Amino acid sequence: MFFEFSFEPVVCVGSVKGVTAAPDDWEDTLPTIRLEQVEKSYGAVRVLPPLDLTMDDGEFTVLVGPSGCGKSTTLRILAGLEDLSGGEVYFDEKPIGHLPPKQRDLAMVFQDYALYPHMNIARNMSFALRLKRAPASEIDEKVKRVANMLNIGHLLDRKPAELSGGQRQRVAMGRALVRDASTFLFDEPLSNLDAKLRAKMRTELAEMRDTLDKNMIYVTHDQIEAMTLGDRIVVMSEGLIQQQGTPEELFKTPVNRFVAGFIGSPTMNFLDGTIITEKSKTFVQGEGFKIALPAATARILESHASRDVTLGIRPSSFTTKPAKSDATIDLRLVVSEYLGAQSTLVTRCGDSDILVEHESASPVKSGGMLTFGIRTNEIMVFDKTTGLRL
Amino acid sequence: MSASSHKASGPAFYALMVCLIIMAIGPIMLMLATSFKTNIDVNDVNVSALFFTPTISNYETVLCNVLWYEPAGDNYCDPTFGRALGNSIFIALVSTAITLVVGCMAAYALVRFRFMGRGVVSMTTLMMRMVPPAVLLVPVFGIWTFQFGLDGTYSGIILVYVAMNLPFVIWILQSFIVQVPIQLEEAARMDGANPLQVFFLVVLPIIKPGLAAAAIFTFRIAWNEFLLGNALSGRSTRTVPVTIVNSITEYDIDWGVIMATGMLLAIPPVIFTFVASKQIITGMTAGAVKG
Repeated sequence: MFFEFSFEPVVCVGSVKGVTAAPDDWEDTLPTIRLEQVEKSYGAVRVLPPLDLTMDDGEFTVLVGPSGCGKSTTLRILAGLEDLSGGEVYFDEKPIGHLPPKQRDLAMVFQDYALYPHMNIARNMSFALRLKRAPASEIDEKVKRVANMLNIGHLLDRKPAELSGGQRQRVAMGRALVRDASTFLFDEPLSNLDAKLRAKMRTELAEMRDTLDKNMIYVTHDQIEAMTLGDRIVVMSEGLIQQQGTPEELFKTPVNRFVAGFIGSPTMNFLDGTIITEKSKTFVQGEGFKIALPAATARILESHASRDVTLGIRPSSFTTKPAKSDATIDLRLVVSEYLGAQSTLVTRCGDSDILVEHESASPVKSGGMLTFGIRTNEIMVFDKTTGLRL
Repeated sequence: MSASSHKASGPAFYALMVCLIIMAIGPIMLMLATSFKTNIDVNDVNVSALFFTPTISNYETVLCNVLWYEPAGDNYCDPTFGRALGNSIFIALVSTAITLVVGCMAAYALVRFRFMGRGVVSMTTLMMRMVPPAVLLVPVFGIWTFQFGLDGTYSGIILVYVAMNLPFVIWILQSFIVQVPIQLEEAARMDGANPLQVFFLVVLPIIKPGLAAAAIFTFRIAWNEFLLGNALSGRSTRTVPVTIVNSITEYDIDWGVIMATGMLLAIPPVIFTFVASKQIITGMTAGAVKG
C-alpha cells in the first residue's frame, strides 16, 4: 500500500532498492524534500506553474511572498491537502504525491489554529496518537511533556474556547509536536496574533527551531518572520520562485526588484532614471536627482549606457552628512514617523515617495527640504522593464 | 432598546398579552379539565368547565393495561390506547433515528463533496417537501400495499416518515455543516484521520446542536402525523392520533378518555424537546478557529 511504484513510471529503477525499506526506517532520519515540476490548477485557472524546490533535511525553510503567490498552495500540496495537477513530491527518493496526509509523516500548524472545539486541550493534542491507538500511558506522557515545554500544562482540561489567542496558538503547535513527525509545516501560524505576542512567539519558534531537529517548512507573508526564522528563504511571486537563499543573501544580493522590495523593512526605495556618462563618470539621472555611481557599479553598467533603469536605495543607506556632492539627493519631507531612537521619514522626490531611516533622538519637524547623502556602494540598479538586477 | 420596552408596557400591551395567553393555554386547560371529568359531567351543562369533582378514571381507562393496579370498577380493559402510545413512541423514535443517521451523512456529502448532479439532488430533496402529504397519500398507499406489502407494518409507516422528514433534516444540517470550518477537517486529516473518522469524531460532535434541532423537528412531525399514519397503519400498529379519531364512533364519543389520551399524547414530545434542546448550545465552534 505504502509504496506502489508500479503506477509511477517516473521513478528510476535504481531508487527502488532504497525504497523497499520499512517505513519506520525513514521516519527516524529526516527526509530531504524535493518538489519536481509540481503544478496546480483549478479547472482552467493555473495557480501554480511548474515549480522545482528542494529542502535539505533538518532545514528551516520559509516560503514567503505576497498573498496569492502560491506559497500556501505549495505547502498544502506538500501536506497532501491538495491534489497535484502535475509533477511529483519526493521525500528522499520516494514519491509521495499520491499518498494521503496520514501516510506522509507530517505535522501541520494551521493559520487559524483549527482546534477541535468539542475536545479539551489534552484530547486535542492527543487526537493523532489516539487515532493511532497508542497506549494510554504513552499518550499521557507525551502530551504532558509537550504541554510543559510550551507552558500550557495547566490548561489541559480546558476547552479551546476558554483560551486566549496566544494559548490556542501554543496548543496548535503542541498538537503538531506531540505527533513527533519528521517534518513540520507551518501555515502562517502567527498571523492572527497581535504584534507583541507575535514577536514573542517568533522568538519561541526560533528557540524551538534550534532545539528540535526537524524539517520545518514555514509559510508567511511577513518578511520579518522569514528573516528571523529561516535557514533558507524562498521568495515567491505569482507562483514562481523569485529567489532562494539565506536571509543575508536575499538582503544583500537580491536578483530582482521584487525580492529587493520584499525583503527588508522599511522597504527599499525605487527611483526611475537613466544612465548617463559625463566626464568618465557614470550617473543615474532622474526627476529631481542625479547620483554618481561608484566605480565598481559603473563598470557593470558600462554596456547599458543611456538605458532606463530603476535605482534601489534602502532607507538605511541615507546619511545626513553628505560626503560628496555628487551623491546627494534633495528630498521634501512629508511625514516624520518618530519611533524613539530613530525616525522613519516619508519624503518625496518628484512623484516617488522615499523612505529614509534617520537616527535622531528627537522628532524631525515635517515640511521643508532636506539634503541627504547616499552610501552609493549600497545602491542597487535594476532594469526598468524586466526588473532584473544589473 | 429601553425606549421601545417602555412603550410596550402600557395597559393595552398587557391586555394583548393576556388575550394571547388565553388563546394559547385556554384549549390546553380545557383539555386538561375535561380529561379529569366523567362522561356525565362533560355532557352536563350545569357542571362548570373548570370547577367539578375530578376523577382519574379516564386515565385509568387509557392506561388500564399498563397500570400496576386493577382500576376500580368492572370496566372491560381496552388495550388500544396503551398500545397506540407505545406504537407512537416506537415509530417516532425509530423514524427520527433513521432520519438523522441518513440525513447527516447526506447533508455532509452535499456540502463537502463535489459530484455530478449535486445541485439537482439538493433541489430535489427540497421539492419532495413541497408536495403536501395528501398528494402522496394515494400513490404511497398503493405502492406500500400492492407492491411492497408494507401496509399495516411498523416498517411501512417508519419508511414513509423517514422519506417525509429527510429533506428537511438534510437542509437543516447542511446549514450547520457549512459552518464547520474546513480547517478542522484538514487538521483531522493531517492528524491521520480517515474520512469516516473525520466525520464521526470531528464534524458530528460539532453539529450536535443541529442534530438536536433536527431531531426535535422530526420527532414532532412523526408524532403528530395523522393522514399517512391512518392510511398505512393496521389495527396493531396504529399511532395515537389515528386511535383518537377512530375512537369517535357513531355510538359513543368518550370525550373524557379522548382528552386524557390527548394529554398523554402531549407529554413525550415535551420531554423529548427538553432533552434534545439541552444539546442546543450556541457557539459550539467557538475557539475552533480565529475569527
